[in-house]
Amino acid sequence: MADRQNGAQSPEQQVRALYEEAESNTAKAFEALVNKPSFGRLLALSAENTAALTRMSFDGVDLLWRNLRLAGRADIVRLSKQLHRTEDKLERVLQEVEKLRDDVARDRDATGSRS
Amino acid sequence: MSVVDPIAGAVERLVRFPFNALEYTNILLTTEDAVVGATPREVVWTHRQTTLYRYRSPDRRYAVPLLLVFALINRPEIFDLRPGSSLVEYLIEEGFDVFLVDWGYPDEEDADMGLDEYVCDELEWAVRETLRASGAEELSLMGWCIGATLCAMYCGLDRGGERPPVKNLALLTMPIDGRNSTYANWVADEDFDVDGVSELYGSVPGSAIDFANKMMKPVTNYWTTYRRLWEGVQEGTARREAYQSMAKWVADNPPFAGKAWRQWIRLMYRDAALLSGRVRLRDRSVDLGRIDQNVLVITAGADHIAPRPGTMPFFDLIASDDVEHFDRPGGHIGLVAGSAARKELWPAMAQWLAERSDA
Repeated sequence: MADRQNGAQSPEQQVRALYEEAESNTAKAFEALVNKPSFGRLLALSAENTAALTRMSFDGVDLLWRNLRLAGRADIVRLSKQLHRTEDKLERVLQEVEKLRDDVARDRDATGSRS
Repeated sequence: MSVVDPIAGAVERLVRFPFNALEYTNILLTTEDAVVGATPREVVWTHRQTTLYRYRSPDRRYAVPLLLVFALINRPEIFDLRPGSSLVEYLIEEGFDVFLVDWGYPDEEDADMGLDEYVCDELEWAVRETLRASGAEELSLMGWCIGATLCAMYCGLDRGGERPPVKNLALLTMPIDGRNSTYANWVADEDFDVDGVSELYGSVPGSAIDFANKMMKPVTNYWTTYRRLWEGVQEGTARREAYQSMAKWVADNPPFAGKAWRQWIRLMYRDAALLSGRVRLRDRSVDLGRIDQNVLVITAGADHIAPRPGTMPFFDLIASDDVEHFDRPGGHIGLVAGSAARKELWPAMAQWLAERSDA
């Protein structure tokens, strides 16, 4: 009792401090673990496998869809890419038009100020 | 303290447990309803997935507009997290004309979007549209994380002797050399087939990017965050809005366009090509030595995503006369978006910009 009055921790506080220390040590241990090249290799292999499985499942579903004469993901992606190409060209044309309009306005201002 | 106190405390916690459990689950389950990015804005320009927004200041005091550029992972709403804790809100109150470029949600059809397209097209055009909308000749660029690297690359791009229309360049937690980071341990190995993975996915799913980010500090991200929230609920100190807005932002992960992802891994974690000036975008060299703008670099002492040593070589490369470095304690995101930032870092950033934002 005298110890506690002198600022010593209660049993509950001691348990909490112990827990937080254990958690902090576990966090550090896991950070050291994920920093190892072997963990990186594991992650890389998992990423490659997951990507391959995802692609296979997409292709499978697409095949089914196409046989049902419905647009699959690949068809939508192809269409979207065409739209993107058109948008790219449109953006460049718009920028040229805006540039020409600015040039014309600048020329007109210069002519106006001379006369 | 009597013997009865701990027992009374335990009984009280037991009685309050059902209520606390309900509140805790309510906070987790209603996170999606949190308000994120609430500052009024208008769309200035769109192209493919990219959108340029403008946040008009009711009291514009500075002629030079500010363009904010976020990373290609996560969403740019971190600049405008929630009312009262929003950098955008703070900057427009300070009188800046603020623009923000949003890269959108790239999908499989955007697999061909590389760093070339992001820097030479999207950012170039966003700068152009910002200047047209604001009627200014020059702007300030503020990039964060990968966004900062994109801004640096934009300013270092070969323009045949012409200077980019950038007056001030503010770079927050910017990676330049990632070879000594945890990421490098995962992806720098040539055995990891980045081309194969990006081609298989088209665009790398946001969930995969998020998983990798969280695995850098697995216990903190998957356990400690939730444990601390529970403790906060028990003690009545949990800040619902703060937790939910950040949790909602963290969970919003757009895919990383395939070509940009593999280019990023090569130039950042394998070659550190920005250091040697070997990066070429659309056959134009990127040399950070061309950067002669007023430069502000902000690094975070506890940044595990873009560690401070990976930013420091930048200072040896640039040609600017006006260079300032704020090095603060904090993490990659918390440094600028945390509750302490409003009191110290934001005013310092705003002052740095204000001193350099007159026409």
